[in-house]
Amino acid sequence: MREIKFIGSNEKTLVSMNKEYGWSLNLKELLMVKDYFEKLKREPTRAEIETIAQTWSEHCKHKTFSGPVEFIWKDRSGKIKMKKKFDNLFKETIVYATKKLNKKYCLSVFKDNAGIIELYPGSKWGICFKAETHNHPCAIEPYGGAETGVGGVIRDILGVGMGAKPVIDTDIFCFAYPDKKYDIGKGFLTPHNIISGVVSGVRDYGNKMGIPTANGAVVFDDSYIYNPLVYVGSAGLIPKDKINKKVVPQSLIVVIGGRTGRDGIGGATFSSADIEEETSSSHVQIGNAINEKKVLDVLLKARDMGLYTAVTDCGAGGFSSAIGELASDCGAEVWLDKALLKDENIEPWEIWVSESQERMVLCVPEKNLNKLKEICEMEECEFCVVGRFTDTKKLEVYHKKNKIIDLDMKFLHAGLVQIAKKAVYKERKTNYNSISIKNSEIPERFKKIISDLNVCSKRSIVEQYDHEVIGQTVIKPFCSMEQRVPSDSAVIWAGNVTGENNHRGFAVSCGINSRISKISPYIMSYYVVDEAVRNLVCVGADITRGAILDNFCSANPNYEDVMGDFTASAISASKAALDISMPYISGKDSFYNQTAVKNRVYKIPTTLLISAIAPVEDVRNAVSSDIKSEGNPIYVIGEFKKGMGGSVYRELFKGDDFVSSIDLKKNRKYYLKIIESMRKKHILSAHDVSDGGFLTAVLEMALCGKGVEINIGGIKDKYKVSDAEALFGECGSKIILEVDIRKEKEFINFMREAPMLKVGKVIQGSSFILTDKGNIVFKEDVLKLREIWERKII
Amino acid sequence: MGEKNNMKPKVIVLRASGTNCNLETEKAFDYVGGKVDSVHINELVKGIRKLSDYDIIALPGGFSFGDDISAGKIFALRIKSLKKDFDEFVKKKKPIIGICNGFQVLIKTGFLPYHPDLKQKATLYLNDIGRFVCKWVRVKINKESPCIFTRGINSEFYLPIAHGEGKFVADEKVLKEITDKKLDALTYMDNPNGSYEDIAGITNEYGNVFGLMPHPERAFFSYLSPSKSSNKTGIGYYFFKNAVDYVK
Repeated sequence: MREIKFIGSNEKTLVSMNKEYGWSLNLKELLMVKDYFEKLKREPTRAEIETIAQTWSEHCKHKTFSGPVEFIWKDRSGKIKMKKKFDNLFKETIVYATKKLNKKYCLSVFKDNAGIIELYPGSKWGICFKAETHNHPCAIEPYGGAETGVGGVIRDILGVGMGAKPVIDTDIFCFAYPDKKYDIGKGFLTPHNIISGVVSGVRDYGNKMGIPTANGAVVFDDSYIYNPLVYVGSAGLIPKDKINKKVVPQSLIVVIGGRTGRDGIGGATFSSADIEEETSSSHVQIGNAINEKKVLDVLLKARDMGLYTAVTDCGAGGFSSAIGELASDCGAEVWLDKALLKDENIEPWEIWVSESQERMVLCVPEKNLNKLKEICEMEECEFCVVGRFTDTKKLEVYHKKNKIIDLDMKFLHAGLVQIAKKAVYKERKTNYNSISIKNSEIPERFKKIISDLNVCSKRSIVEQYDHEVIGQTVIKPFCSMEQRVPSDSAVIWAGNVTGENNHRGFAVSCGINSRISKISPYIMSYYVVDEAVRNLVCVGADITRGAILDNFCSANPNYEDVMGDFTASAISASKAALDISMPYISGKDSFYNQTAVKNRVYKIPTTLLISAIAPVEDVRNAVSSDIKSEGNPIYVIGEFKKGMGGSVYRELFKGDDFVSSIDLKKNRKYYLKIIESMRKKHILSAHDVSDGGFLTAVLEMALCGKGVEINIGGIKDKYKVSDAEALFGECGSKIILEVDIRKEKEFINFMREAPMLKVGKVIQGSSFILTDKGNIVFKEDVLKLREIWERKII
Repeated sequence: MGEKNNMKPKVIVLRASGTNCNLETEKAFDYVGGKVDSVHINELVKGIRKLSDYDIIALPGGFSFGDDISAGKIFALRIKSLKKDFDEFVKKKKPIIGICNGFQVLIKTGFLPYHPDLKQKATLYLNDIGRFVCKWVRVKINKESPCIFTRGINSEFYLPIAHGEGKFVADEKVLKEITDKKLDALTYMDNPNGSYEDIAGITNEYGNVFGLMPHPERAFFSYLSPSKSSNKTGIGYYFFKNAVDYVK
């Protein structure tokens, strides 16, 4: 490594120095740094440049999403349909929707480690929710990457406001197929290795933290071969009077939890670049769940005793970003030699930026230090005082007597150069042709669909996670006594944590769809927002008081087509939220999910995870997805639509790639009706139609061993769709309901304005029967179909 | 124990670093009328609190000390340093319940199956499936067991399990003693982990010490069951109610 010399250096030297040290700064930023130090008439120290690189990194600042974008939308023929300049894409799409919706139950949006909504009107408690990705680490070290991903998002919940108690975790993965042969580049892991590592990592960390992992999804698609996506989410409960933090100058900077080591140096800057064949796994941190559990125990105790006035987590960028952010309005003096270390063989600047796990930074008034120390000792949690908050508006970092950083907070936090990105969105050519399917082909094709990895049971993964700890999980990943039927949302009762004598709780769900994204990233956002919300509706959650999170993953945004797809999906994500009236409260984006192998660039499609959360007034009335009793009629609410685009059927067999658009304003109307009908106890079970289509969804509800008879004729007549579209299409927004036969008339009358169709009934025995105008098309024992569906994934 | 009639039974929910089912265990005892203290084992070691002040001990689930070495082992060693106090508690026939990791601790301390010199007589080994598993399983109460926690509970029902090391293993002599004396208070109907004699939980001869792998605290209310039935009370309630009624 060469000496760091900015003063007088030309552009070429700056750029090559940048690459050598791995700062991931762009030229404009390098020149800004140069200017700053030329004015100071001194060279920067290594620690200063590393601090600037971390603080300005894509990972910490999200400068692509919150930067200016020149957007061009071209239609199929290449004609320009729309041109738009954004100064700040994030503010003008995601934040815009939230501001416009202006929901009073949102207690904190976008400003803290997680978003917060009210548990119920007038409640003393808020629910906070955050989702993160840990894609790059999982690609090269799946177990450690997944563990530290879970650990990181939990610390976001611990670090929100004055600290919240995490009560549910979620995990959503996108992988390539583990059972398919790929010609994998040298030095890369197979999908099978990645999946086993990631699942074990989430399991070991989440279980040891004592937080139920109770909602999630797994998506399989070739696009994720070199770039698996690993989303982890966490929601917590926080007293409303603990939502605001305050950094007080002269208070001590206290670190609790793990020690600082050389693991994870430069993680934030590494996540802001493409994965290359020589990318090293030393960028990935090491997890230790028990350390974090101790941190959790100490933190919540100290919070309730009022021992600190502010807290944040040590995530990307380590102390540099945690202390830097807390002190951004006042200033800080830091003594790095006081930090507890894993080993002494570490440079001062490395202590400063190390991303060692399980550390939280607190602002502690000096008078409370002894009490905090007592708690830490009792809980066997290490702690150290590493500095003091000041009012100098400066960041001053010492190691022993050496001052290694002396930067203005203003420069560090406001000095970011915004780079305008070019974005060109080209609509893909799609063809609609109504495909036909013979009755005789239906049984075999259906069986193939339900054994497809995107459709089959995820139980072999899910049962490795403790989804019951804390004793609040009401709707679990699988419903019915034997837990055979997949649920739509997790429902969590809040009572053990709040100590309130009521049955209040909340529901958590998600929506993700890469197949539609490959056809239209624009339409995709509507579908995933809708799916997440529809999942909440299926359990009867109150979506009028709900919220959503956006987690975008994309390839390298310096490609104008990548940025075009991303921008188009951000625009529609904003519109979808407005239409369905659900505000975004937090989010995160992850770029550079692409890999070059043997001269070919593998890019992921723009993948948007929407996580949704909404209060449940009385968890005892939450609706589960398993069919309850013989004789009850089965209804579908929502329109069947044209097109096989985005369906599992099309992936396996042939079909057109047309995707019908959906109207979320209209959907919201009948979703509210369904929730109201659930309150009136018309509905005994509900399930949304997603991967695999309508027939799969009905079968899933019956997997507890109930018989059903379904008539497809009415669907074709009413919605003018083909057999394939009716049975296996995935366009439109449909919910299947089992209605209490004693309340059927009331139900029909109440729902009359919604698109509604009676499609069958629950029958005696365990036969799954499909008929078309009186003729039996398909008949099979549910238990036999269950065997096919319940295949192992890994 | 008549003089305590009007007082709430005092319950100590004892935890260590890594214990994580303490909240719901505390709440379960609270809901059935116990006066509950959540206590870190270090508070006993340092003498800040005394076991003799309590009527019931609960050792909740989790991963005490990360389950390093083997599940519950280090927690067990800490408890052994307080051997006298615990043994006195057992001999006074006060109730002790160990759930999941707590059961592992009771086994590793030699309180279950009871050994007069507190030597370990059995173990809970890695599940046959080779990994952690979380699901509701069918279990059966041994009606002839002296166990005070399972008194009067319906014989067959579902309880949730969540463990990686739950396979009960002991030699033939120990197993015979357990089955002969009806100490196998709770058994699996569809053995999920390979436990010998389908053992899910065992008690001591007097019935006041009970350890089990399933989690009754997670089945405390009917709405926590995966099947949405109309029963008002969950089956787990009775385990805690029995303990509190016993000391009243």
